[in-house]
Amino acid sequence: MYYFDHSATTPLLPEVTRLMNDINKEAFGNPSSIYSLGRKSRSIIETARNQVANSISARPDQIIFTSGGTESNNQVFWSLINGGRKHVVSNVIEHPAVLNVLNFLNKFGLKHNLVNVDTDGIVSIDEIKNAISSETSLISLMLANNEIGTLQPVKEIVEIAKKKGILVHTDAVQCLGKFNLDVTELGVDFLSLSAHKFYGPKGIGALYVKEPNTLPSLIIGGSQEKNHRAGTENISAIAGMGLAAENSIKSLNKKVNALIDLEGQFKKGLNKFYKTAILNGNQSQKLPGLISISFPKTRSDILMKKLDREGISVSNGSACGSGDIKPSPVLSAIGLDDPTNLSTLRFSFGSSNTSDQIGYLLHKLESILLKS
Amino acid sequence: MSQIIIGMSGGVDSAVAASVLKDKGYEVEAVFMKNWEEDSEYCTSERDYIDALQVCEILNIPLHTVNFAKEYWDRVFEYFLEEYKNGRTPNPDVLCNNEIKFKEFLNYAIELGASKIATGHYVRSDNKDGDIKLIKGLDHKKDQSYFLHGLNQNQISNTLFPIGGLVKSDVRKKAQELGFNNFGKKDSVGICFIGERNIKDFLKQYIPANPGHIVTNKGMKIGKHDGLMYYTIGQRKGLGIGGGHSESDGAWYVIEKDLAGNQLIVAQGHDNSALYHRSLKASKLHWISGDPPTHHILNAKIRYRSNDVPCKITDLEGDTISIKFDRSCFGIAPGQSVVFYSGEICLGGAVIDSYWN
Repeated sequence: MYYFDHSATTPLLPEVTRLMNDINKEAFGNPSSIYSLGRKSRSIIETARNQVANSISARPDQIIFTSGGTESNNQVFWSLINGGRKHVVSNVIEHPAVLNVLNFLNKFGLKHNLVNVDTDGIVSIDEIKNAISSETSLISLMLANNEIGTLQPVKEIVEIAKKKGILVHTDAVQCLGKFNLDVTELGVDFLSLSAHKFYGPKGIGALYVKEPNTLPSLIIGGSQEKNHRAGTENISAIAGMGLAAENSIKSLNKKVNALIDLEGQFKKGLNKFYKTAILNGNQSQKLPGLISISFPKTRSDILMKKLDREGISVSNGSACGSGDIKPSPVLSAIGLDDPTNLSTLRFSFGSSNTSDQIGYLLHKLESILLKS
Repeated sequence: MSQIIIGMSGGVDSAVAASVLKDKGYEVEAVFMKNWEEDSEYCTSERDYIDALQVCEILNIPLHTVNFAKEYWDRVFEYFLEEYKNGRTPNPDVLCNNEIKFKEFLNYAIELGASKIATGHYVRSDNKDGDIKLIKGLDHKKDQSYFLHGLNQNQISNTLFPIGGLVKSDVRKKAQELGFNNFGKKDSVGICFIGERNIKDFLKQYIPANPGHIVTNKGMKIGKHDGLMYYTIGQRKGLGIGGGHSESDGAWYVIEKDLAGNQLIVAQGHDNSALYHRSLKASKLHWISGDPPTHHILNAKIRYRSNDVPCKITDLEGDTISIKFDRSCFGIAPGQSVVFYSGEICLGGAVIDSYWN
């Protein structure tokens, strides 16, 4: 198996699998119960909360466990519908887990403006400034884009927002383990995380909240997560997320350098036999190991399927439930015409990838591209 | 290596077709085609995809998805609407086969490296010294050659029809044995993109309705129609008129659409001679062999599931054909296809334009 789609999801770390299996076997107590079995479950959760908090330089009480990045985003946006100011500034290349929520919340009176990105895939700070009105209560800007990997100037935006009393949310699901993610340095008010993007389990995520007492729960029910997220906790998933988060910052530099090396090997190797490739998005201000490449005059869906036959997993555009392919709105936003858009593949490398695997990928790409 | 790419709809027929190919030792991949863009309760595309996925997991074959919605809209749906606007009753499934399944999908599969495509249609084919024939499915109740009469030699020779020699009940039985979730899924009826909704409500979204009078073939106004496009010649149900408006009690049937006067002409009784005609003229004529048949006595079907009726070609010019049947046929509807047969062999067909006695 040659898996180059780590931005879609990552395999579980073996030690995470082991931990989760053990917990599923032994720690079945309800964390809200106060006898020893319950306390054990509770302590597992709090250990994980510490691990997640540590990984982004937050305090444990600022971490709310949710079902994933999507729920984390939802919790932030839904909290705004009863506020005094009801306007959000975001941008056109956000994930549907932001854009579709904002569109939906229109009917609850929450308005929004989406600023454009330049051909590099980066928002202009001036455009954000212009989009802010006296009604604006939140700016939501992804830290790194999932399709092209470009990093947004979130820190600069926070400085502007602070002066106007506007909160800032960032969807950072692509980022943990890719660079030093420090919420105090970033200064954001909310940050969304998803465990399965950093070798943890699916169905679990977290929301960092700078001032946790001010945020209402999205899921209403019991008093779990200090009234911030009702519902009996998924103990093993939370523990798995904690361990994966802890692991993601271990020897971070080494991991990042490994990704940069794989990326360099791939780009250099591709350039040897294929000169017309277009690298999308700013190449210096982006996630390591994520590359969006257009292969002009080659249909990416066909290319992807031919790679699939060779056991190679890569992604094209954002596929929906039935694998249906449409031009990617992100690629359109950075100025790609439809034919180029539909000839684009995303390669995202991860910790399981080796130089030999990149060699295999290049070899197969060469034979497919040069044959057609 | 002979690689076959099968069009997998999520239904039981293409699922079993794929398993037949696997049993025969072919290397098989499946493609799920999405030809209609709609997110509504009527669109079963997602559910169909999940059924296809389950089948492919059981058979251990890859499933790809391709979207031909734009091609379908431009080449099938616009024609479909145009025909309705002209008061005719089109058959989009015939066009879908000609333009999408056996053109776009075929090209796509070849681009993916397939040596042939396969479908779950109930038809068979035969190749004798390069003379390719399309033959009715063994299960005559399910035979789908009517919908495939527009194919040419190249299209048929590049296609396998793995279940053409099976009967439906055996196909379902095999699906159940293999553990396919869709083994009991009911056959799709009517037009795929309309699904289970009312065709009247569907058409209303695209074509403005122009209500008018319902008039008997003797000139008496007996009711109102909602727009001529909603009715088909031979139709009985849904006219909104009971029997009993004239001498003999009996149901009313649509016999003609008077577009100029916006009148729906009806006659009473299923046996009414106004509903029966012996001759028709059709255009867009296509012969599967590429040439007209050498003898002019053939069988013809004027709609899917109607019986074959012997007929004689009375005129043949360019792509139009006139035929005379041995006996009168009920409810010949312009826009539908007339499909020609010689015994079990499907020869080709054309689109009905007019009829007379």
